[in-house]
Amino acid sequence: MALEEEQKPKGGVARSRLIVRLGAFLVSHNVFVSVVCCIAGIIALLLLPVLAKNTYISENALMPGSANPAFSAQDVMEANRFVKDLIDRRTIEGTGIEIPRLIGQHMAGVGAEVYYHKFWPHKNQFHPLHFFSCAPNTVTMQSNSSCASVGVNSIGIIRAPRGDGKEAIVLVTPYNPWKIELSEALSLGLAFSIFSLLGQVSWLAKDIVWLAADSQFGEYTSVSAWLKDYHSPVFFSESGKMNVDMCYEYNSHQDWDRITVNWANANAFKRAGTMAAALVLKVLEKKERQERDSLTIYAEASNGQMPNLDLINIVHYLAVHRQGLRVKIATIGSLLNSVWLRSIGEIVQRLCRFAKSLDPRWKYDITSADYVEGSATLASSMYYQAIGVPTGSHGAFRDYQVDAVTLELSPWFSLKNENSQSAFLLRGGRLIEGVIRSVNNLLEKFHQSFFLYFLTAPNKFVSVGVYMIAFALLIAPLPIVAVAPFSGKNKIRLSTDKGNQRPGNTCTDEIEITIGSWKWLHAAKVVFMIHLWAVIVLLLPYFISQIPYISPTTSMLVWVAVAISALLIVYLILGSPYSSDCEWALLKSIMIAAAFIGLGLMSIINFSTAQIGALIVVPMCLMVRPLKRHKEVALCTRVMLMACNLVLAVMGSPPAALLILKGLSEGFGRVGIGDFWVWAEFLWIWNSATYLYLFLVHLPCWALYVHILLHP
Amino acid sequence: MTRIRCYWGWVAAAIAFRILLICFPKNLNLGSRPEVATPLTSLRRLAEGYWLKQASMSPYAGSMYHGSPLLLSILGPFTITSLMFVIVDFVTAMLIRATGQKLMLKCHQSLQFLNLSKLVEASGNVEAGNFASLVFLWNPLTIVTCVGSTTAPIDNLMAVLAIYGACSCLAPLAAFGWVIATHLSLYPAILIVPLILLLGHGPDAPPLKLFQQKNNSASGSSPSSHSHTKSTQTGIQIDYFSWRPVLHFLLWASIWSCYVLVLSSISLKGLGGLLEMFKKTHGFILTVVDLSPNIGVLWYFFAEVFDFFRNFFLIVFNMNILFMLLPLAIRLKHRPCFLAFVYLAISSMLKSYPSVGDSALYLGLLGLFANELAGMQFSFFLFCGYIGVSLLSPVMHNLWIWRGTGNANFYFATGIAYACLQTVLIVESVSTMLKYDRMLRKHITT
Repeated sequence: MALEEEQKPKGGVARSRLIVRLGAFLVSHNVFVSVVCCIAGIIALLLLPVLAKNTYISENALMPGSANPAFSAQDVMEANRFVKDLIDRRTIEGTGIEIPRLIGQHMAGVGAEVYYHKFWPHKNQFHPLHFFSCAPNTVTMQSNSSCASVGVNSIGIIRAPRGDGKEAIVLVTPYNPWKIELSEALSLGLAFSIFSLLGQVSWLAKDIVWLAADSQFGEYTSVSAWLKDYHSPVFFSESGKMNVDMCYEYNSHQDWDRITVNWANANAFKRAGTMAAALVLKVLEKKERQERDSLTIYAEASNGQMPNLDLINIVHYLAVHRQGLRVKIATIGSLLNSVWLRSIGEIVQRLCRFAKSLDPRWKYDITSADYVEGSATLASSMYYQAIGVPTGSHGAFRDYQVDAVTLELSPWFSLKNENSQSAFLLRGGRLIEGVIRSVNNLLEKFHQSFFLYFLTAPNKFVSVGVYMIAFALLIAPLPIVAVAPFSGKNKIRLSTDKGNQRPGNTCTDEIEITIGSWKWLHAAKVVFMIHLWAVIVLLLPYFISQIPYISPTTSMLVWVAVAISALLIVYLILGSPYSSDCEWALLKSIMIAAAFIGLGLMSIINFSTAQIGALIVVPMCLMVRPLKRHKEVALCTRVMLMACNLVLAVMGSPPAALLILKGLSEGFGRVGIGDFWVWAEFLWIWNSATYLYLFLVHLPCWALYVHILLHP
Repeated sequence: MTRIRCYWGWVAAAIAFRILLICFPKNLNLGSRPEVATPLTSLRRLAEGYWLKQASMSPYAGSMYHGSPLLLSILGPFTITSLMFVIVDFVTAMLIRATGQKLMLKCHQSLQFLNLSKLVEASGNVEAGNFASLVFLWNPLTIVTCVGSTTAPIDNLMAVLAIYGACSCLAPLAAFGWVIATHLSLYPAILIVPLILLLGHGPDAPPLKLFQQKNNSASGSSPSSHSHTKSTQTGIQIDYFSWRPVLHFLLWASIWSCYVLVLSSISLKGLGGLLEMFKKTHGFILTVVDLSPNIGVLWYFFAEVFDFFRNFFLIVFNMNILFMLLPLAIRLKHRPCFLAFVYLAISSMLKSYPSVGDSALYLGLLGLFANELAGMQFSFFLFCGYIGVSLLSPVMHNLWIWRGTGNANFYFATGIAYACLQTVLIVESVSTMLKYDRMLRKHITT
């Protein structure tokens, strides 16, 4: 009987489930697995430009370019007339009122419904609990803003002859009414000519809304204010709105009266149904000469969200194949000339050729130059997504689930040249008309194509299924290393069981193990306290920013001082931070688990942040080891490990990393301590999840890393 | 025995923390989270039902409210603040504590009888009651449920009340808890098996076979010893299944249910009778009418399934819970409290509108078995899994509903992960418990 009982558990271990045995196998080779996975992850990341696929239009209803453009030289002349009008008004006093009025008049002239939307500039303010809410946190500036600081958007709506008024396409042209430039006037002219053309066509099934956005307080502010009012009806009980009206009546009584007399309800907010898509039009004169007119597409919205790929696809298709424009997206210029990237490109090119010689079906032929350009574009795409701040006013639309892109047209010749200007306007007009016609064909919301992707060229993309592999490989070692200490104990138990079969010993052993299996709770307490500290550090800027008249440097110093004292208090509460019941191996495994959960979550919220963060956090998690425990390994490895650890400890701390990066790019003379504060402020006013990541995942991980390094 | 330092301090801190969180209802807005408030427990829906009733309409008109009519009368005036639920949570914690003390007492008695008290000293025992009540009070899921203005704390209180009543052999109390819990959320009806076992056998103890073995060996070796004869008597007492309290319980249960039905019919007088109540409450639970997303797995399935298979799968999914009752009851009949925990965990995994309040309950009860489950495998994995899933779920919901870049599958994936975690928890805890019993047997036989 007794013998049978003895054998039972051992048999159970031998016949344990396959998945558990596989897991145990991986865990027992965790060093090898983690090195292989990390290297594979970095290689996969570098190979992303090679794995990029050509874009294709997946929504059939779009049918881009199926109709001939109706935009003609006559429309161009109309645009030119409008531009001339605008330029003439430039010299008159009080253009701030005059130009919106002029735009409104022209809108009404083509038979559109017109109204003016007045808004206060909003001051972005940090609020700890409003992350992930739709619109950025805005607090109306009530005090000290004079009546002059009111923006006026002019909006025209063309009702579609074939539509039911439930859907709309939005055109946005940002301009500054107080200081209108030729390029802004051109973009307004272009939009106007398209608008007047669309007022006559019979195929329109969605209403067209043209928003001439007053960008004196920034392009984003005006568009987001308009969108906010569009989506949330405001009733007259709200005092802020009334203030604007009263203020306006007081300030420019006569001007305003004239408009209101002309159109009885020029101030009533009108709507046109849900927005199918939005295009932000801009004209920009480039310094450098180029052989063709070019179009730059900006698509990144807040927190790394992208518009549906189909929208970019139709713009690209029409621009390249119909209008012969040169389509660009943002790249990081310094990477284009970097030597190491070019050498990687050479290697990749050779590898691709080799792969092709093995099997001609593998179509991975990429030249070194293409690779370098693709990587630079990918890096810029990743950078803007990771920052989590929109690259233009199209970002405001994404907060309401509307797909939007900014199209920045730039002519190849000087804008002052009338001939080239006309040709440029003709191309631009035909492009926009084509895009609007395509979107007009749409039967439902954009949903067919990707939302989660990176662009490596205007016509190449890396989809979520590909780039997730690189990330998954990079963080795969984390759970394996995290469970290693737990399986180690199991191994000890097995060996003791085999070693002495005496029943008395197994009894005490088992009791020890039963306590041991919950031993990680002590380490979890330390990790929890560090995370609590990180939350306090995260919320501190909210209180520091309440102090009036404080310079960034002082704020930063106060922030650091309070954070360090909070950490000391946490240590006081914990008692001795290095108490005997808290082993560093367990601490490490819990720290890794926390980092894994954090990175996994962040990869869903904002992939780029998680990917860039993982490149720092994963080595930190895997390498960490108390400095005093290095004695048992050989000297050279010990020195190397120590050097790696120290470099990581410095580079891992967020302020130091930012200052060093900034110093490298701009020279160390211009770097101050306050820079980090400015940067953090920039992140939180845009509600960037990167700020949360930095303080809830990265900072505690770094603090625990240093904690373990200093472990006795 | 490891004592928990300043227990009451921790309890007070938990209550203070809840009251602090209640001060920010707008900022947290937990009542609108699908993980926290289900169609059955949402306090906003209750407010709607209350309003309808005040306007002398049936509270079930408009298909918003699906709770008991009694809750309307009790909670209706207090829908603005969730301060009441803080008290409810505190009472639940105290009941768990009392249950834990009863369990500890029984455990010590039986281990002493089996001459295994050295085991107790060696393994660094924790006070199960205090530990479990603190786990319950400080569990973030409990706090979220309490602050998130749902009626789930009351359901939990009733289930715990039933278990406590059965543990301390108070048949009327147990019957009251069971009847009200069943009335409120139907699924606690399956607790009748552990409750009867508790009343019949008394609280958790090692398997009966061990006592018999011990009795045999004791009578064989030294029948003259005084202490042994005494303990043999207690052993015989344990052996015995007493029918009296069980019959009491059944009697009281029928009395209470009649009482509840009468009260309900009085409160619904002229507003659509009891039949409508059953259709809109228990019928609503069983037929999975509301397919709005929650952390369970049924909403997705029934949104996908063809209409003509719907009835078949309704039967399958509802029977699924019942299928597991009998085997578990047979295997764990000597540990009825643990059986109740397993039942609650299973029902929270398979119920039609689960919320985090259900896991708050069974995780709190899990603390009662801290000593027996000390050797549990994958504890770290489960801990991380619960944290990961509870953070992932809101993010996926945001991605699907607010950003529009995700879809229903994203959110459903977290539902599946959550169900898997619960499965692992149940499997591991049951197997650890069985292993513990096996270890006891090994110590007795050697």
